[in-house]
Amino acid sequence: MPRSGREPVCASARRYARPQRRATVFDARTGNVNPMLKRLFIFFTLILVAAIFSDVALNYSEHTELSRLAQHYASKGPEELGAANLVTSVVVTYRGLDTLGEVTVLFISAAGVGLMLRRRKHPDTVVPARKPASELVETAARLLMPMVFVFGVYVFANGHLTPGGGFQGGAIIASGVLLLLLAMPQAQLSHRLIGFTESLSGFSYVVVGVLGIVLAGGFLDNRILPLGSFGSLFSAGAIPIIYVFVGLKVGSELSAVVDRFRSDESKPEL
Amino acid sequence: MVAAVFHPLGIFIVALGTAFLTPLLFRKREGFASLIFMLALAAMATIAAAGFLALANGAPTIEIETAGIAPPFAINLRFGLYESFFVFAVNLAALLAAWHYLPRLRKHAATLLLFIIMVMGIDGMVMTRDLFNLFIFIEITSIATYTLIGFEREAGMLSAGFKYIIATSIASAFFLLGTIFVYYQTGTLNIDDIIAHQSAIGGPIGFVALLLLLTSLLIELKPYPANGWGLDVYETAPSAIASMISVGVSAGVIFALYKVQPLFGDFLTSIAVVGGITFLASNVIGLRQNNVKRLLGYSSIGQMGLMVLAMALLQQHGQHTHLALIVGGLFLNHLLAKAGLFWLAGVVQRDTVRGWAGVAGKPLLLLVLGVCLAALIGLPPFPGFWAKWGLVMELAVDNLYGWIALVLVGSLLEAAYLFRWFGHALRADDSEPVNVGVAPLLPPAAAAALLAVAGYFTARSAGVVPGQLLLPVYAAGALFLLDGLPGRLKSLAMLAVVAGGGFWVAGDLQGLNRIFALILVAGGLLMAVATLYRGDARKGFYPLLAALLLSLATLLTAHTSLEFFTSWELMTLSSYLLVTLGRDGVKPALSYLLFSLGSAFLILAGFAVAFAATGSIELAALGNAGDSVPLVFSLLALGFVIKAGAFGFHIWLPGAYTEADDDTTAILSAVMSKASIFGLVIVAGQLGVRADIGLEPAYVLGWIGMLTATFGALMAVFQEDFKRLLAYSSMGQLGYIVAGIALMSHLGWVAALYMTVNHFLYKGVLFLAAAGVIYRTNTRLMYQMGGLIKNMPVTFVAVMMAIIAMSGVPPLTGFGGKWLLFNAMMDKGWYWLAAVGFFSSAVAFLYMFRILQTVFLGQRKLAHKDLREAPLILLVPQVVMLVIILVLSAYPKLLLDPLSAAVAPYVPGALLWDGLALQSHLGYWNAPMIMIIVGGVWAIPLIFLLLVSLTIKIQPVKQFNIVYAAERPHRPEDTHYAYRFFAHYERAIGVLVKPHATAFWSAVSEWSHTLAASLRILYTGNGQTYVLFILVYFVALYFANTGTV
Amino acid sequence: MTGLPVSTYVLSTGLALILIGLWGLLMQKNIIRMIIGFSLVDTGIHMVMIAIGYVTGGTAPIIDSAVPIKDAATRVVDPVPSALVLTAIVIGLGVTAVMLSYAVNIYREKKSLSIDDCSESKW
Repeated sequence: MPRSGREPVCASARRYARPQRRATVFDARTGNVNPMLKRLFIFFTLILVAAIFSDVALNYSEHTELSRLAQHYASKGPEELGAANLVTSVVVTYRGLDTLGEVTVLFISAAGVGLMLRRRKHPDTVVPARKPASELVETAARLLMPMVFVFGVYVFANGHLTPGGGFQGGAIIASGVLLLLLAMPQAQLSHRLIGFTESLSGFSYVVVGVLGIVLAGGFLDNRILPLGSFGSLFSAGAIPIIYVFVGLKVGSELSAVVDRFRSDESKPEL
Repeated sequence: MVAAVFHPLGIFIVALGTAFLTPLLFRKREGFASLIFMLALAAMATIAAAGFLALANGAPTIEIETAGIAPPFAINLRFGLYESFFVFAVNLAALLAAWHYLPRLRKHAATLLLFIIMVMGIDGMVMTRDLFNLFIFIEITSIATYTLIGFEREAGMLSAGFKYIIATSIASAFFLLGTIFVYYQTGTLNIDDIIAHQSAIGGPIGFVALLLLLTSLLIELKPYPANGWGLDVYETAPSAIASMISVGVSAGVIFALYKVQPLFGDFLTSIAVVGGITFLASNVIGLRQNNVKRLLGYSSIGQMGLMVLAMALLQQHGQHTHLALIVGGLFLNHLLAKAGLFWLAGVVQRDTVRGWAGVAGKPLLLLVLGVCLAALIGLPPFPGFWAKWGLVMELAVDNLYGWIALVLVGSLLEAAYLFRWFGHALRADDSEPVNVGVAPLLPPAAAAALLAVAGYFTARSAGVVPGQLLLPVYAAGALFLLDGLPGRLKSLAMLAVVAGGGFWVAGDLQGLNRIFALILVAGGLLMAVATLYRGDARKGFYPLLAALLLSLATLLTAHTSLEFFTSWELMTLSSYLLVTLGRDGVKPALSYLLFSLGSAFLILAGFAVAFAATGSIELAALGNAGDSVPLVFSLLALGFVIKAGAFGFHIWLPGAYTEADDDTTAILSAVMSKASIFGLVIVAGQLGVRADIGLEPAYVLGWIGMLTATFGALMAVFQEDFKRLLAYSSMGQLGYIVAGIALMSHLGWVAALYMTVNHFLYKGVLFLAAAGVIYRTNTRLMYQMGGLIKNMPVTFVAVMMAIIAMSGVPPLTGFGGKWLLFNAMMDKGWYWLAAVGFFSSAVAFLYMFRILQTVFLGQRKLAHKDLREAPLILLVPQVVMLVIILVLSAYPKLLLDPLSAAVAPYVPGALLWDGLALQSHLGYWNAPMIMIIVGGVWAIPLIFLLLVSLTIKIQPVKQFNIVYAAERPHRPEDTHYAYRFFAHYERAIGVLVKPHATAFWSAVSEWSHTLAASLRILYTGNGQTYVLFILVYFVALYFANTGTV
Repeated sequence: MTGLPVSTYVLSTGLALILIGLWGLLMQKNIIRMIIGFSLVDTGIHMVMIAIGYVTGGTAPIIDSAVPIKDAATRVVDPVPSALVLTAIVIGLGVTAVMLSYAVNIYREKKSLSIDDCSESKW
């Protein structure tokens, strides 16, 4: 009895087990791989990448002197461009084209996010009304907002002298806007104002760049204005001006991005 | 001032200014914003065009410094000849893409500005000379594309777009990491400066840095198998965006790769292998693809692979001077053709290739589609043809024969799936017709027109004088404009064009070429007269026929292998298209095209090997190939005999000949098939005698010819279809000619050429007669005919005389051909071949006899009672050729003397005449005497029979006065005595005619599809798997190259 | 001070962060988590960049009373990677924003954030 009882069990087990085992390694029809196998493969690949990286880390030795490029910037930069902050002179002038590109990247990603998150013709989800923020947050926001904005402006206006610059200042301003949105969820940002600031500051940046061709050595040359006295606010030619535009642009764009991710249905059709 | 306005920086300024202001403009007036957008794109293209023209005329390269500070301290851009070419091409494509997609783009400010920024990003990738700046431009382009891919927010686009973002972000991350490591070692970011300090890049960090950069750029170019994300986007993204990714973004990346390639000196082999695998794999996988846009995706990826391969190999072997023509030509070709196809797909809006049946019968659409496809697979006169020619030649010079094979096999596969698609578009079925106005077709049509223009200029830069050589194209173009006229008027115009053009091109040829000119051009013209018999419009037919006949004329005048190959491919293309015009011609046309291209590629390879050996593309220099002669000869001869329908490769022949229009078939068989004979003779003449080729390849060729003759005849015996029978017969008869050439003796060649002329004459008569019979009876099946002698006496006489001329019996020309051939074989001692030849001649008699018996004799069908004789205009060429046959039969000297003189320069020798009798050491042939004797022999029974019929009363029997005794026929065919006429032989020799060759080639096709299925399994659609492939790619490249640096 | 220079730690941490990010990209099915993985990769690269810009004993590259112009070339760290990293951060932000906007839309279309549900097109 036990014998005859066991056999069908084995048979059925074999019948079901075999195709399953084969299908789980690799299913040619769907292209699905056994998850365990795949995980193992990923692990193995990452180990190899890690080996390559550790080879890099082990062979790394810290520089003890500046690179050729940096030496030029450090020794000639101040007199050439008149900016005390070397990073700024690199960012705005020596590598000004990068920065223009960077502004463009921010611009198109803001536009892209707006486009992707534009209002749907037939919204399929009803967003529940927001709870108002606590009084604590609201009060703090009212108190801090002006200071945050002023600080932002300070950071981008002094970008050529102290750590900071257009991007940092713009980000600070946008964080102020974020705070505002947290404190007052029902608040509506003026899209018209944001769009206007965004477009105009970007366009002005290009105009300043073109002025460089006309008045100075080339596109994005900051020496269209006098370099002024080294270390003062009105120095380094057009760098402060450019940073003001960049700051305004970054501030408005980041604000726009943050605003667009709020999942309400009041967004304009871009 | 002008220089300032057209300064390349203007491209960036215009783009950025427009983009930044677009939201403001858009708020005021949408229409105004899109107008400004188009104007800006046009301005960018104009600036690039002006720069390109100036640079092409020798203006110095424009070095653009930014910030007024010299590089490497500030970023600089370069606008040289190559840069301006790429920028111009991309901006032009962008302008057309925007035009194509404007209805959708103009709906949002963001789409307008993203599009223009994307184009600017690509321009920046091309122009910048700074590594980090390159990264920025890659990112600008990528981010703009990300949104454009998915902004319609359909599920498929979103999935594909997200995978695309993840994959390209990883690639960009690699690039950034590589850049910073390069900076760590060289202390600079300027590309020229880095190259100058290349020696500083070394050790593990340098190796990883270069590898990261390389992996990143290669991944952006979508190498197999790490490219599933790209394919998904090609499939789902809006056509205009997919086109810009395929031609624009890829152009930027490939140019970036070109710029930094000097750093990758040690990796060039890897790069070439990556390109090669990608080219081959995507074209194999494309075979299984039915979604049009994904198909285009595979083709795009394949083309990029080809360009990468070409760039790496040419760079590796120091062929920098050829880079411009080859990579530039391939790029321009891909750009225009692929963009045009994507836009067309966007206009037609049919997902699967089958759905494209809805475009059948739309001339403009089909023209654009055909031009783009022909360009893509590298047919003349488009830029890809000249580029591919150059590539194959240079690869041969560097002895890279494996790579040549890869390029050609990949191209053949690509042709297979692209033209399968074209086939669907040609053949209307019950799917809903596509309704498209002219306006949406303008952007793709512009791309097609630009392809033609670009082809002209590429030809000039390839060192070709496109005046006479491209005459077939011009003629076809001109006649295409007249395609609205009535049929017969077009036919007359075509005849005039061919006569004028043919005389202009081939009028003053001498020697052997003159003889072929008489067959191919004058003979072709004579056959073309027959096209007047149909009065219907036949859209597209006359331009193509003119192109075919004129390409035969230019073929004869070729002095260089490039000219020869150009004409050859024009002939292939025009004849393929002619076959597709037949009632069920589309499917056989595809196999015809594939075998033709296969043979053309063998010919190309042969010329390339010869070029490598001699350094010259002059046909006259072929003989100097030295040790390469056997290889050159084998490749070329194989190519030519495939095109002649050699045994084993013949499976295209019956289908193409049968399904083409009846007058087309006559021209294909009687005229065009002689082009391969011409090629074989020219090549064998240049190589064989002067270089004294060994016996082996020629002997093999002889056997190929004789086996073709035998099997052609055997298969003809068992056909029920009139034209199919004649098709197999053509195959067999060409076999004799090939065998004659293979003899490499004076007598053998005279025999071959004599048979060539003869075949032209009798096969022309037979096919035109068949055309007449089919025209009247509306069927090709012989058992549905019978007794037509009473209705069509002239046709009957023509067929009878042609059959006598074909068979080797006296007194007509066929006898002379066989006599010469067997004499030549005996001279050479090829007895076995001669024996097989005798056998196949006997077999041939069976089917010849059957034509007369089945079609013209026996009982007439009731329905055929009132049939009239074939149209007069069909009979005229037949009568002319019959007269020629009779004259030549009586006085073969008229033909043999010029033939003997023509071949003497290649194979010395002379014919020995004794009066009117031709002498050989086996005997003599006195044609006039034979004529008289046979006439007598025939006259006696004829007189006897006439007397009998006059004296004995014959009782006519009514049609159905035969009783089916006790038997009832199962099928209507069985009532005809001629159905399965030779069934009894089939039992004996049927095993020989089983479709082994067809089975073999089906297996090849099956196998390629299976291979495609297993190669594409990697494309699981899972985004994480794709990321994993990218990492594995990096790791694999790392370990494949450790030790090289 | 003995041991490894400080920038080696930064570099190694950066490379490790990249690996962790890659792991997240490969193993996490949730699209938001994959985006976080990408951000980690990005941040790791930024750390590597900063590490490479460091010069032994250098200070911030700003000319003021502490670092006079004549000493600048010997006393400051490399300003170039700092400038590059600034740009790279902004670009990373842009890419992340677009990715997130995709995630929002994918969720709206499919009511799922699993990458496995994003495989409509294959082969």
